[in-house]
Amino acid sequence: MESKINEIGCLIKSAQDGDEQAMTKLITIHKGLVFTIVLRMTNDYDLSQDLTQDTFIKVFMNIKRVKSAEHLRPWICAIARNVVRDHFRKAKRTQAISFESVKDFHVKGESNIDSTKRRMVIQDALAKLAERDRMILTLTYYDGLSLGEVAQALKMSENAVKVGVHRARKRLRKYLEGYEHELLSIR
Amino acid sequence: MSMNSCPYVEKIIDYRLHRLTDEERSSFETHLDSCPSCRHELAIEMAVEDELAAEFQPGLIEQAVMRRLEIHKEEDMRSFWLYSYRIAVLGITAAIAIFVLLPYLLKFPRSYLPDLGKYAIVFTDFFAGLASIDPIFFFMGFGYFLLITSSIYALVQLRR
Repeated sequence: MESKINEIGCLIKSAQDGDEQAMTKLITIHKGLVFTIVLRMTNDYDLSQDLTQDTFIKVFMNIKRVKSAEHLRPWICAIARNVVRDHFRKAKRTQAISFESVKDFHVKGESNIDSTKRRMVIQDALAKLAERDRMILTLTYYDGLSLGEVAQALKMSENAVKVGVHRARKRLRKYLEGYEHELLSIR
Repeated sequence: MSMNSCPYVEKIIDYRLHRLTDEERSSFETHLDSCPSCRHELAIEMAVEDELAAEFQPGLIEQAVMRRLEIHKEEDMRSFWLYSYRIAVLGITAAIAIFVLLPYLLKFPRSYLPDLGKYAIVFTDFFAGLASIDPIFFFMGFGYFLLITSSIYALVQLRR
């Protein structure tokens, strides 16, 4: 863990000096996180590709502000959320609740067709949640993000995140009522 | 959780989030062995967790980002030079205004000008000297032309 933070620290320093290889590596490390956040907020695959790029453009235009490796991930998460919000503000359009594009998602470690069905049911329920609840769940369950990082990214206290996760999961479960068969038959 | 009336169902989320004490945990696990509805709820919770933990991967965006960053850098350089140019134009304009306008002002009688002390007199004498030379008026005319056109251009650009 420490060596990873050190590696990220070196990459940040090189990126701050304009090293393109370091920037590329930072994108590779964080693109899954950014894309997941953006996709959960937009539910639009193509738009998420564009907004993920926009997020990294903003990240590298302001990379000099990053003081330590520990702050990078929460900072990137916050930028991703702001990029999506700005996009919707500019476009003045409401969030599309269409999951046609979800079918084509490439998810790490999953390849069978049935899992797509389950995913669509859960994605649909997730889309019904308030943005804050969706973000709390997305970041909490995203592999490798600590409670502290989630709290930092969402500008909340760790306690508030804990309570928020509990509430959001209860709401999500409520939206999943009636879909138990789809959720369990393919497991 | 409303589909299940078992009181233990409220503990499922805490159980999955590792927020139960050792005692609560073992009591909950014992209960699970004998409660099919809680096992059912737990299975649903785990299915949801799997999805929440899923990492969506975009395609290869590295090259696209780097290319866009290059374009941004080029645009930044262009806007830097444009900005510098605007500032230079404004500076030159101001300089011309001082050097061209002052001699004209100085053609008025001294009594019309505010008394700025002995330094002002030194300067006014200098510009009065300039104004008395005929060819300088040719340059003044040219200066005015430059002044008006560059000021209009600079102001239009600055407003964009």
